[in-house]
Amino acid sequence: IQFTQMMSIRPVVVLLTVLQWAGRGLPSPVRPICDPRVLDRFIMEARDTETALRGCKAGCGVTGTFVVPLTNVDFVVWETKDTEEQALEVQSGMSLFGQALGAVRESVSRVAVQILIDNNKSNIHSLGQVLRSLHIQDLPLPPAPAVGDLVTRKVSSLSELLHVHTNFLRGKVRLLLTNAPACQQNST
Amino acid sequence: KKMTNDNLNKLLVFCVLFCAQKTSIVHGAQALETKVALLLHAEPENPKCFAEGMSDLTCFWEEDEERAGSADQYSFIYTYQNENSSECSITALPAAGGKRLYFCRLSQTQLFVPLDIRVFRDDLLIHNRSLFIEAVFLLDPPANLTLTSTGMQGQLKASWLPPSLKYMGDSMMYEVSYAMAGSHIGKVEEVQASSELILRGLQSGTKYKVRIRVKLDGISYSGYWSAWTDPVLMETMPGDLDPLIVSLSLIISLVLTLLSLLVLMSHRRFLLKKIWPIIPTPESKFQGLFKVYGGDFQEWLGHSTGGLWLRPTYFYSEEFPVPLEVLSEVSLGPALPSSALPPKASEALGEEEDEDKKLKRVDPALMEGWRKTPQEHWTMDQLRAIHQHPAPWTQSSLLESHDAYVTLNAQNHSVEEPLDDILEETLPLQVLFASGRTSSESRSDLGSVQQSSGSGRLSSQSSFEYPNHTWPSKGPGYTYMAVADSGVSMDYSPMSSNKIDDIGKGVIYTNEYKNEIPAHRRPIGTPIHFAF
Repeated sequence: IQFTQMMSIRPVVVLLTVLQWAGRGLPSPVRPICDPRVLDRFIMEARDTETALRGCKAGCGVTGTFVVPLTNVDFVVWETKDTEEQALEVQSGMSLFGQALGAVRESVSRVAVQILIDNNKSNIHSLGQVLRSLHIQDLPLPPAPAVGDLVTRKVSSLSELLHVHTNFLRGKVRLLLTNAPACQQNST
Repeated sequence: KKMTNDNLNKLLVFCVLFCAQKTSIVHGAQALETKVALLLHAEPENPKCFAEGMSDLTCFWEEDEERAGSADQYSFIYTYQNENSSECSITALPAAGGKRLYFCRLSQTQLFVPLDIRVFRDDLLIHNRSLFIEAVFLLDPPANLTLTSTGMQGQLKASWLPPSLKYMGDSMMYEVSYAMAGSHIGKVEEVQASSELILRGLQSGTKYKVRIRVKLDGISYSGYWSAWTDPVLMETMPGDLDPLIVSLSLIISLVLTLLSLLVLMSHRRFLLKKIWPIIPTPESKFQGLFKVYGGDFQEWLGHSTGGLWLRPTYFYSEEFPVPLEVLSEVSLGPALPSSALPPKASEALGEEEDEDKKLKRVDPALMEGWRKTPQEHWTMDQLRAIHQHPAPWTQSSLLESHDAYVTLNAQNHSVEEPLDDILEETLPLQVLFASGRTSSESRSDLGSVQQSSGSGRLSSQSSFEYPNHTWPSKGPGYTYMAVADSGVSMDYSPMSSNKIDDIGKGVIYTNEYKNEIPAHRRPIGTPIHFAF
């Protein structure tokens, strides 16, 4: 299943990689990516990875603890935050996941698992591109610990990590993208 | 007056508001009832929870009335991930079917994070559930469902108002169900993140019933299908003739027409014969009759060489009188010379003069024989004698039948004139007149002769002999019998001699007879009057 999904996502990944590469030297792309289906695809792929690796024995050989962001969204509270604050939360969370998945990739030996993890990692990168297209500035890596403590927690298994990852994408990231000011002008 | 007006206005406004609230409350209660019913059907886990908006959650569970406790006995404890537990206040409501519902409603929720729910009854855990609130959405059905025509055949456009939920407009999925009004079989179409749909492939000129329900698409948010909206009816545009059907029917009718034409042409002659039958003409039988002689039969007879041979067939045709054969004679006196026997009709089919002569020859003898006994009554002895001498009777066996046989006595008055021009009358109709028809007692025709008035004379005369229709009265001794020949049958009816005078004076036509012989010829249907 993952192979075909990888095949389908390839063009988007290539496009975004090119944009990222181009974006390193150039200002952010002019045209904002507002299609919610882009993020929906990332969410589905993360969910599929979570489902596929849930039955992994002994956590697929992954040990250690990972720092992950909090995923809960209280709409009333969320709406009180401005876009920058929301963007900060999202970007710091994305970077945390990037680090955690990188560490997982190091400790996984099975090729199939490696492919899935690689796919999720590239999706995270693509998301960064999408955020940049919406004029949401990148955070410098690594994120500031002060921010991280408030909105993070620790997980100890791969399945939980992936589960939190999925929830994060579905919640905060999506809310940020769908309500980005750059997209509000275009949408009806 | 002004005061009362103001008061009235206030009262009116108050009433309106109150009523509106009441209706909204009623509406809300109805909506809740529907949702409860839906979830009881759709969700197996307890407690059943659903979110209606972005920051609310309603949970409930059902208990039988007998085993149900008061709301105080229950406690609803919920815990978000990485957070402390909280408790929700419970309200109890009665439900249909002897059940009780216990509700808990949260007005501030967190999504995208696991929520742990535990229900206790008197410190005993009765329900335990973990859920994501963004996965249990149960929305209100879409509002303002309207159907409009697209202007094209077999199409309807359905449009609606999506549920007004922030952040979720593009995650909504709709199911449109449409069916012909009155039918239970319908189709369903799904549409994502849209507020209108064009239904295609509908029948023209029919009323359709459309309804819609909504659900979240399940990528970010998910939940249960909402309740169906109330159905909306709309009639599609009346149908034009489907061009395919029109062209097909034209082709088929063309093909059928060609086929029928082919059949008609091949059976042309047969059909013509049936519709316009050929009127038969006797031209083929009478060569030259019409072409040479212009229909003048006498001339044709006189001049045609093959005429003699034709005569028997001619003679036996419908239009000409049936020849009568002499079967026997009634002889009251001494034996008549055998030569007196009138020849058969077929033999006498010779020249007119020959016939006449024969008749003339024969009849005097007959008459003389008869005159000898002018006034004698026929006695049984005489009859017996006649019987015993069957020699004069050529065909006595025939006499024993009841048929009437008529001998035409052409000797009298009529000889002179007009036999010439009357073709049919020259036919030697020789009939032995037996009045046996009138008597059923005696088998012998002779026996019935006793009915005669005693003149003892038997003669017969044809009215042909009397072209002027004068009928000479033979005297009171004669009994007359009227014969009407219609050409098909002969009708005999006795007449008294007294009547004869009347008949003789008048023109008697008993019937009309149609034939192709020119009008100046005597029609055959002239009654033949016989006297005996």
